[in-house]
Amino acid sequence: MAAHLETELNAAVNVINATGGKGVTGHSRALSARPDGYTLGMTTLELNMMHWSGLTTMDIDSCIPLMSINEDYAAIFVLADSPWQNVKELEEDIRQRPGELTASGTSAGGAWHLALAGWLIEAGLQAEDVTWISSTGSGPSLQDLLSGGVDMVCCSLPEATTLLEAGKIRALGVMSPQRAKGYEEVATFAEQGTDWSLGGWRALALPKGTPPEIQEKILNALHRIVTGQTKVAETTFPEFMEKSGFDYTYRTGEELDRFLRETDAKFGKLLTSEAMQSVNQDPFNPMTFLWIIMGLMAVTVGAIVVQAQFQRTRESGESSVEKIPISARGVISCLLILGTIAAYAFFAETVGFISLCFASMLVLMLWMGVRPLWAFVCSLAFTLSIYQLFTLALRVPLPRGWIGW
Amino acid sequence: MQEVLSSAFSVIMTPEVLGIILLSAIYGIFVGSIPGLTATMAVALMVPLTFFLSDVQALAAIVTTVTCSIFAGDIPATLVRIPGTPASAAYAADAYALTRQGLTGRSLGISLLFSVLGGLFGTVVLMFAAPLLAKVAESFSSFQYFWLYVLGLTCAAIVSDDSRLKGAFSLLVGLLLSTIGLGTDYSAPRMTFGFDQLITGVNFIPAMIGLFGISEVLRNALASNLGTPAEEITTDAKDHAAENSTLGIIRYVVPMACRRFHHLLRSSTIGSLVGMLPGAGADIAAWISYAVSKRFSKNPEAYGKGSEEGLADATGANNSALGSAWIPALVFGIPGDSVTAIAIGVLMMKNIQPGPDIFDVTKPQAVLVFGIYFTFILANLLLIPLGLIAIKVGNGLVHIPRAVLMPAIVIFCVVGSFSLNASYFDVFVMMVMGVLGFALERIRAPLGPVVLGIILGGALEHKFIQCLTKSDSVLSFFESPISMVLASCCIGLWIWPLIFSRRKPAPPDA
Repeated sequence: MAAHLETELNAAVNVINATGGKGVTGHSRALSARPDGYTLGMTTLELNMMHWSGLTTMDIDSCIPLMSINEDYAAIFVLADSPWQNVKELEEDIRQRPGELTASGTSAGGAWHLALAGWLIEAGLQAEDVTWISSTGSGPSLQDLLSGGVDMVCCSLPEATTLLEAGKIRALGVMSPQRAKGYEEVATFAEQGTDWSLGGWRALALPKGTPPEIQEKILNALHRIVTGQTKVAETTFPEFMEKSGFDYTYRTGEELDRFLRETDAKFGKLLTSEAMQSVNQDPFNPMTFLWIIMGLMAVTVGAIVVQAQFQRTRESGESSVEKIPISARGVISCLLILGTIAAYAFFAETVGFISLCFASMLVLMLWMGVRPLWAFVCSLAFTLSIYQLFTLALRVPLPRGWIGW
Repeated sequence: MQEVLSSAFSVIMTPEVLGIILLSAIYGIFVGSIPGLTATMAVALMVPLTFFLSDVQALAAIVTTVTCSIFAGDIPATLVRIPGTPASAAYAADAYALTRQGLTGRSLGISLLFSVLGGLFGTVVLMFAAPLLAKVAESFSSFQYFWLYVLGLTCAAIVSDDSRLKGAFSLLVGLLLSTIGLGTDYSAPRMTFGFDQLITGVNFIPAMIGLFGISEVLRNALASNLGTPAEEITTDAKDHAAENSTLGIIRYVVPMACRRFHHLLRSSTIGSLVGMLPGAGADIAAWISYAVSKRFSKNPEAYGKGSEEGLADATGANNSALGSAWIPALVFGIPGDSVTAIAIGVLMMKNIQPGPDIFDVTKPQAVLVFGIYFTFILANLLLIPLGLIAIKVGNGLVHIPRAVLMPAIVIFCVVGSFSLNASYFDVFVMMVMGVLGFALERIRAPLGPVVLGIILGGALEHKFIQCLTKSDSVLSFFESPISMVLASCCIGLWIWPLIFSRRKPAPPDA
């Protein structure tokens, strides 16, 4: 998408993958950016979920959704040699021995977990009848499935294509209204007797407050891209999505808005319901690991102190620690260096890289006793070459500020 | 088989592909040697360009860039003790110690040759053992990963030169830092102290730059006399001018490689095995190999103070890990590291689906896969002349007076930590880490384990929680044979010194 936007808008488009935090990270980063049209967010299903579970106040009203470009539905995968042939058999087995089977696919409380839990409840079971093993994504979950670590994985179809085609795993069913394009052999849940569907969506959105003419411009570019009017490496966007096995369903304007609101209401009902409470609970206290580390730390520090005492009595005064003589000059040097870094963190955005970098290098060099002319030439040459290198050669933007290009 | 080999060979041996390999190699060395820009970033920056290349060209560009930038990560580690990539953190102390002895050229020469040999070994493993090794990787579930991470961390802690306790202390500091922010398994952030930016946790790139780079600058600044050029280094470097010349390096390093051939085999095997596990990769490979090398060395007390053996073994391991990282990516479509993740994206875009059949020589895509092998070999060979040039340039940098070099390093640290995410907060993190690193060095605690702790802490916690959710009792942690072996290695490594520490003779020159 970024590559297509790049050709269409005739400007460099950098993709930043802001992962983690159940989607809070990425969304807050994109939606709290300066609304100047230079930051676009790829919002996802999590935007419908986060605010219901109290993670954030961000919801679909915190952004201007432009266009949704893809919808992928959840499916359930098991090992090729597992006993279950369809969703009904799996359901029966879960009923026989609740709490014994394990599933994975995303973090606990994530979209795919919700999909599985929703299905269980729809089938008249409890959400916690299958133990959800929290994971970082579909890739690691599928690997865990292969090694026998979990019994089933719930994720979207394209994510599992490789293993499906290799015959290592089977798809029992897909949670979509109709069978998915490219995966016609996988039956839907509705066909197998449980009326349940859940899918994820991806939509490009702008931060609230972006001027209408900029919205218009980007939306126009998007329209041209999804209708196959742009080509990158001889491939149009729809062709690329088709090849990669991703679904492509475009929604814009009113339709997108309605779709997002419907999904939001559906998740609101799901996530606030009594039966779903267990889904939102963390499997363990967040402090578990922290306390273990703290405990080990205390033991180690204790041991170091004891050892130091022991050695001191034995070596009696013979210090092995290399002592650096501390001079006032040295301390000031250190403070200047730290000051330079802090100055960059606080003022670079307004002052700009070139002025700030040049000034701080000059000060540091003069303080350290470099001849003035030499220091001036060095700082100027260094500042300019770094700026040139990063902004032009590597296309990593540095703050522009007062002077820049 | 023969046909595939020859057609893959002819596909690679075209002027366009060779030109792309050469350009990517230069680009890789360049980006890798700038602290803060990682091998992953080098590849990511290149992705938009790969759209315009054919599949062979695109993969050749990616493979070459990674190979060269992982070696180039050793250059700043040697010159200014800032590892260019996390994979160089294991032996940054050794490489830098050699520079302080005036042996910059030799140190980089060792890095170069052993990187190349390790990389070639990794390629051979990829060529002949990929389907077999894929089977091993398939059997790794959360328990085995948990123990592997513990083993990697244990190795990092116990190799520290001074005392194991201080190594453990550093490691725990790193792990503690890794718990900052939102864990994979929780919906509530921890220890963010009210900073929203900390919800995502401490980013390890600025942390690493601060810990190694700024702390060293501070140490130098505190020692004052910056007005004079770095006297000891320059005079030493003059004494060792012959050793640091290109010819001198070759004369020294080649016999060393012959002498240490079986060590190289050992460290490359470790590298290949660890490298193929998704999420483990080159960083852990370097640490484990370093620890093994120290354990079996005749003079373990030199480790951390400029040991050429440790440097050679660890640098070989991280390069051999690169080749095998492609195994899970090509076989299961599960990337071993972020670089192969990008590579999979490129493959899919070119309509090639990774999977077990990818090695099937009767299929058309086999040409491409063998093309990857050839590129690995070519890139490694090309690294020798280019690396020697880079070393020559690096050698010159040592002669710059420190009063000019130090401010430049400060700016490099700032830009390096800023540019990764365009985040001013990362610059702040880098500064705090610099002070922390400085403090840790004053109490003579090693810095390497802190970095590994930050990198692996999140993954370790995640696997730990996964295991706890899955298991009924403590016994599940030891159920499978692989877990048993890994677990007993870890426990053995911790218990061993407790029993035998009494008889340990005092190091002669401490």
